Amino acid sequence: MKDAFLLVYRNMKERKTRLALTILGITVGIGAVIALMSIGYGMQESITGQLVEMVDVIMVTPGAMEFGSFGEFGSFTDRDLEAVNRIGGVKDAVAMRGTMEDVEYRGETFRVEVVGIEPRDIGAVFGETVKLEEGGDAGRGTTGRELRDNDHKTCEIGYSIAYDYFSDELGVNDRLTINGSKFRVVGILEEQGGFTDIDSQIYVTARDAVTILDNDDISVIFVRVRDIEDAEEIAAEIEERIDDNHKLDDFTSAMTMGSAIEDLESVFGILQAVLIIIGSISLIVASLVIMNTMLMSVMERTHEIGVMKAIGAKNRNILSLFLLEVGVVSAIGGVFGCIFGVIGAHAISFGMQTALDVEIAAIVKPEVLLGGVAVAMIVGVLSGLYPARKASKMSPVEAVRYE
Amino acid sequence: MIRTENLTKVYRMGEVEVQALRDVNLEIQDGEFIAIAGPSGSGKSTLLNMIGCLDKPTSGAVFIDDIDTGKLSENKLAEIRREKIGFIFQQFNLIHTLNALENVALPMFFAGVGRETRLKRAEELLAKVGLGDRVDHKPSELSGGEQQRMAIARALSNDPEIIIGDEPTGNVDTEAGNAIMDLLEGLNREGRTIIVVTHDAEIAARAGRTKRMRDGKVLD
Repeated sequence: MKDAFLLVYRNMKERKTRLALTILGITVGIGAVIALMSIGYGMQESITGQLVEMVDVIMVTPGAMEFGSFGEFGSFTDRDLEAVNRIGGVKDAVAMRGTMEDVEYRGETFRVEVVGIEPRDIGAVFGETVKLEEGGDAGRGTTGRELRDNDHKTCEIGYSIAYDYFSDELGVNDRLTINGSKFRVVGILEEQGGFTDIDSQIYVTARDAVTILDNDDISVIFVRVRDIEDAEEIAAEIEERIDDNHKLDDFTSAMTMGSAIEDLESVFGILQAVLIIIGSISLIVASLVIMNTMLMSVMERTHEIGVMKAIGAKNRNILSLFLLEVGVVSAIGGVFGCIFGVIGAHAISFGMQTALDVEIAAIVKPEVLLGGVAVAMIVGVLSGLYPARKASKMSPVEAVRYE
Repeated sequence: MIRTENLTKVYRMGEVEVQALRDVNLEIQDGEFIAIAGPSGSGKSTLLNMIGCLDKPTSGAVFIDDIDTGKLSENKLAEIRREKIGFIFQQFNLIHTLNALENVALPMFFAGVGRETRLKRAEELLAKVGLGDRVDHKPSELSGGEQQRMAIARALSNDPEIIIGDEPTGNVDTEAGNAIMDLLEGLNREGRTIIVVTHDAEIAARAGRTKRMRDGKVLD
């Protein structure tokens, strides 16, 4: 085997430039697939990651709709909330009253979603996933606090509201005007990133939502269950109870985070497949490059193949020498492709963050890297099979005569 | 023993058929040194290729030790070339990427001989042909005569009974040519059958027997 490698190595040394270009072709092909897959995993993680921490949560929205925005097809009432609370297995049921309001700060006005929530429920809904920004506060170093039950005309604001919406950054104790009433900022929420709405929302107490903003309609109910196993069953019961209250069919949509994650994962499965197809195009090009290189190599070495056969090489000796060569070239290309793919994925992630302000981490999975090298070798050997067979089948007398 | 029976080879070159060999009947005894002489295009090299199992006859047969080689599979033919026959070509046909030692060891590599044995034997063979101090040299670093001696060492690699030389002195000067013939005579004395194709009368004269060819036929 050592000598077979030696033969291959000597031959590769003779054709450095072409070899380098072939390896480059494989590197780009494998690198593209790895980079795109890693970014795909990053996108998936940034969205489903937050949901995974909320697996025991059921989101109840009015109107049979898919996971997404709420409040467009009617709303719930306090009676619905009570009905949900009475269902066995429900740990907490939290109502949120969300409406779009005009929010003004230092002369600038935007329409922002303002959510009314019982302060004690904030923890029940968000758990550990949404926290106050520590020591941010527009550079003033105050952490701020959560809303309290007896708060009046106070709000917690999302990260983008504090730093992106208005020309002047908002800090703790600054005041903004919601629908004509002044509200004091008590806390700023940590940046959530990803695709949730929290960064662009303002939270007020449920009482303020009802009395000052005149919003009594519950736009969404978050339900935490005691046992995740029962989540689907409880979700069905919630739909039934609220539909009964409103005497409507399919009015309520209760979605467990588990099923939301499944939905998203299937969407990401498709996205990942599309990314792989795009990456595979470069892989196909790479395989044509390999085939072309090997065919040229076979042609150039016809005489040498003839000599080897004349001195006793069997067809399979020639075949294995060529396959070994293409295997080595592909493996080198595969390893370089992995390095290139990892660098590429991080570059894309960095580029998206700097240019588009979208935070998507490059998640490089070891199995993807191993797969990358394996695919490189499989593609390489398959592409090299035809040229190698062609070489092995040559008539020795004709090959020896070939100049 | 090598025997040909009504050996005929026809090549097609586009529309034209070329009769390279016509009903050749020849017997070569074990341990014989035979020269096959004749002008260019007389069919010498074709005959050699048939005997050397590099090509198959159109009709007739070649027997090596009573085995009809025309009926053997490609793999079997490769085995015969590897075990029984050593080739020496006019153009040396060495692998230019390998050094002398590796070139000589190559047939043993195909025969599955262990690495150490291979390299040791290759070194001995190179010493035998007077290239003991050239083991690390690539073919391009050696003279024509030296390259041909390297090719002879390679031909001896698997200790074959038959050595086939196609104009082995055709590309070297007289002195180197004589050295090569001395080597071949030595190999013949060891009991090997030597078959040499040449159009050089002096070389042919050093063989035990000479057969002349013309127009694809062996002349009596």
